[in-house]
Amino acid sequence: MQLTAASHPSALRARLGAAACLLLASGMPGAARADAGAGNQLDATTLLYAERNRTNVVEPAARLTHTFADGQSLSAQFEYDVITGASPSGGSPSGTPQTTTSASGTVKTVSAGQVPLKDFKDSRYAADLEWQKPFLRSFLSTLGGHFSREKDYQSAGLNGKLSIDLMQRLTTLTLGGGVNRDRVFPVGGIPAGLSDGTAPPGPAARSKDVTTAMVGLSRVVTRRWLVGLNATRTLERGYLTEPYKILSLLDGTTGLITGQRTEDRPERRDRTSLLGSSVYHLTDDVLYLSYRWYRDDWRIRSHTIDARYRHELGNDDYLEPHLRLYSQTAAEFYRFSLVDGTPLPRYASADYRIGALQSVTVGATYGFRVPGHPGEWTVRAEYIGQFGKGHPADAIGVQRDFDLFPQTDTGSLVVGYSIGF
Amino acid sequence: MTRSERRILHAVLLLAVSGLASGCAATAVRPWDRDLLAQKKMRLVPNPMVDAVDQHIYFSKEGSTGGMDVGGGGCGCN
Repeated sequence: MQLTAASHPSALRARLGAAACLLLASGMPGAARADAGAGNQLDATTLLYAERNRTNVVEPAARLTHTFADGQSLSAQFEYDVITGASPSGGSPSGTPQTTTSASGTVKTVSAGQVPLKDFKDSRYAADLEWQKPFLRSFLSTLGGHFSREKDYQSAGLNGKLSIDLMQRLTTLTLGGGVNRDRVFPVGGIPAGLSDGTAPPGPAARSKDVTTAMVGLSRVVTRRWLVGLNATRTLERGYLTEPYKILSLLDGTTGLITGQRTEDRPERRDRTSLLGSSVYHLTDDVLYLSYRWYRDDWRIRSHTIDARYRHELGNDDYLEPHLRLYSQTAAEFYRFSLVDGTPLPRYASADYRIGALQSVTVGATYGFRVPGHPGEWTVRAEYIGQFGKGHPADAIGVQRDFDLFPQTDTGSLVVGYSIGF
Repeated sequence: MTRSERRILHAVLLLAVSGLASGCAATAVRPWDRDLLAQKKMRLVPNPMVDAVDQHIYFSKEGSTGGMDVGGGGCGCN
């Protein structure tokens, strides 16, 4: 009798378990997926981005997703960027005001001792399509395509992913890959590398091919805790140089500018990254933590720590502070300038973004629903500070008096809206 | 990649993959215990569109890239 009695709850438990499995099948294990059932979802964001004295960006984007009754979904995303302002030319500061002319002929003057900037104005539009199809209960395939174009750059790519739920849907293995066939067509043609500007430009356009492979594993650890590990390998081949960037030629004793050279970078780059992520549900709040390790064969190494804490303020709103810390080493061919009269290196760039730098991001997202109205709003404001060594030991002559890596201050605002219908 | 870096990377990957793939730690999480995990906010990337905006920003300002995805397109910004 005892055995018989004991078997009843066991059978009931099994049925409840099966029912719960069915109800939650679309969401396990890695991450809860979109609401089950057919329907549409609209997600829209607008980014307002401003660097102090440098670049400004306005970027509206919208994504429409239709989910079919059998669980398949089709998404289309469009975005449009308007980019204005100025970016560092790569040149060195001077004791007198400097004037630079952009490829489109715009003239920009900076005061003595300042890093020279080049004015620019561009717009970019991008379209993405994505098709997801669950099959055989434990598989989810994703196929995507991308196209974007700006004044001097075009990108077209395809990507695919396959996710497999394993071990009672407690673990998800994801395998993915993507190829991009980009084209660079700078105003005035492709400049000759490390030239003084008098050399005739090369072809009007060059290609840049990017191949990415990714392996990811996510795991439910407890009822409240989900972790993930992603490894990515990216191979870039082709024209990887910034066509408008230059390096200053300096007198080896005084540090005064005697000329300039266009920059030149290797035509291949292999990147590897490893990302560990954790999502932990406290009583109501959620803590997100991640760490990314990165290296490439240009000898850039970086570490990124990201932390977010979603604090529920009520049923319909939350506040999510965010902190991100980033540090990278310099590419092996990065240098502030070149010394006149010495042999030119094989490759050289003074683009601060591949120099040694640290970044700090601080911000917060406020998410809310408007009572009586459908959809969810988010408003995020962030500050990004970038810092580097402004007075390197190998600075020459008057360059020692200048800040060769001025701090970059950036503010951004992202407004988002999501609605299902 | 240097030999020592390769060794460290392999050790970390082996440790992490064995930990993630092992069945012992999480077998107690039954389907009916997944109410919290089913919430949208419990995704590793809860808001993919905002995440894409972030990836674009950092791609244009830093020398590194890579993370959770293989999609998205190139940009002349870096």
